[in-house]
Amino acid sequence: MTQLRNVAIVSFAQLPVVARDEHRTAMEMLSPVVQAALAACGASRDDIDYQIAGSTDYMDGRPFGFVAALDAMGSWPPRHDNHFEMDAAFCAYYAWVRMQAGECDTALVVAHGKVSEGEPRRIMNLQLDPYYQAPLGLDPVASAALQASMVMARLQLSDRDLAEVAARNRCAGAKNPDNLVREAASPEQLAATPFVVDPLRAAYLPAIGETASCLVLAAEGKAERMCERPVWIHGAHHISELQSLGARDLSRSESTRLAAQRALAMAGLDRADQADLVELSAATPAEEWIVCEALGLDPRSSTPVLNPSGGPLCAHPIMNTGLIRLGEVFRQLSGQAGERAVPGAERAVAHATQGHCLQTNLVFVLGSQRRWS
Amino acid sequence: MPAFTEPPTEPIKYVDAHVWLPYDYVAGDYRAAYLRALKEKRILGSRCDRTGKVFVPPVSFSPHAFAPCSELVEVADRGTVTTFCIVNIPVIGRNLELPYVAASVALDGADISIFALIQECKPEEVRMGMRVEAVWKPDGERHGDHEDIQYFRPTGEPDAPPETYLHRL
Repeated sequence: MTQLRNVAIVSFAQLPVVARDEHRTAMEMLSPVVQAALAACGASRDDIDYQIAGSTDYMDGRPFGFVAALDAMGSWPPRHDNHFEMDAAFCAYYAWVRMQAGECDTALVVAHGKVSEGEPRRIMNLQLDPYYQAPLGLDPVASAALQASMVMARLQLSDRDLAEVAARNRCAGAKNPDNLVREAASPEQLAATPFVVDPLRAAYLPAIGETASCLVLAAEGKAERMCERPVWIHGAHHISELQSLGARDLSRSESTRLAAQRALAMAGLDRADQADLVELSAATPAEEWIVCEALGLDPRSSTPVLNPSGGPLCAHPIMNTGLIRLGEVFRQLSGQAGERAVPGAERAVAHATQGHCLQTNLVFVLGSQRRWS
Repeated sequence: MPAFTEPPTEPIKYVDAHVWLPYDYVAGDYRAAYLRALKEKRILGSRCDRTGKVFVPPVSFSPHAFAPCSELVEVADRGTVTTFCIVNIPVIGRNLELPYVAASVALDGADISIFALIQECKPEEVRMGMRVEAVWKPDGERHGDHEDIQYFRPTGEPDAPPETYLHRL
């Protein structure tokens, strides 16, 4: 494996996820988060070389909606800026690639989205092709239910298998003050909730809400000065699949499997279960079974610890969800996870996804020690 | 989607897609205060904690100084034309007699300008430095939106010298 540049997460901040913030615009939610993330690593605006934001204009309900976020990011005097119409975890990946190319030493990665202003199910229907699938009214809940049926049939999963995965997330998530849903629940309670789109019950759907979040990345040499316990990126890879839902086996995530294989190899690991904790962006318990299979993990096993944050079932602020997985890994490995800390955690895997039924997947491997000497 | 009762007789060359996305925007406390004040013929700005500069409409955070703007302040409903143009083509959504003048007006007490129409004078009379005042909609007709100010008109005061407004474009 080629020698790469050591890059670390040195700071993370987010607002607690809410269903709707009635007092603040997206930019007004983002400003204090950027300030908090910079303050936490002792950085001023001028210490940042590069900035990138993840958001979607469809959610903002205006063209070039992302430009408003520049106001909150310390964009004056101007500096190199990018925007992805993707979850900001993909922005973190791009910033890391830029650092590997020597283009920058420090980067600000933000996510924002006033999810409550629009209708996510209606908006995400437009991610599908406009000829055959979008006109049918297929939304992410319906497509996730198609996917759930397929994986349940192939792996012989019962409703109970989904309820147990959901309950594990809910019990962990009760300890995370940033979550929208913070009530622990038993599999029996969750399996008693009504079907929204069979086989998915209300309690098997992600807790959609809004927030703003900010991650600071820094390369070796600067990272140690900005953070007492930087969390180093050991490997990263992302792979996309075909858009058409009929063109792939929805019960598997081949792109997650391949991305994980390459990210783990970069990290010098053989298997994902060599990590102490794993943070997944799977939106439903059925999707969690699929992603776990792709990572070679058992969703019922307690090692590694899966979703100590509670995962998207407890808070799914669209565009932020993947970045928060990286934020959770930073908090866990740098000793800032409070009551939900995984004792002795030194290595973690973070997963992010975009599109219907896990269309695109990104896998990071991170550790508390530098990867390359 | 149109309902097709008969199979199409012509070859299909296009797909007609109707996208309907409703939004319910949060104004935010600063913008809400600004819009409420317009109803009372008052214009609010916000003062940057670090530089003291006043933004109109108010922002919670100065993108320039990268610092909060904690204080809401009232500015005048009169000011200075900092730059302008004469529009000879119709604008979508507004029925304005052509030609009309679109201008930036730096309100007294504000450090950045707002967009405004200049009327009650000939377009060729408008100039940088011209002093203007707001013409409000009558009482009972203001709704707390940007059209509560119908337009700005000349006050007849002597022109403001460039050094008083060139940094407030």
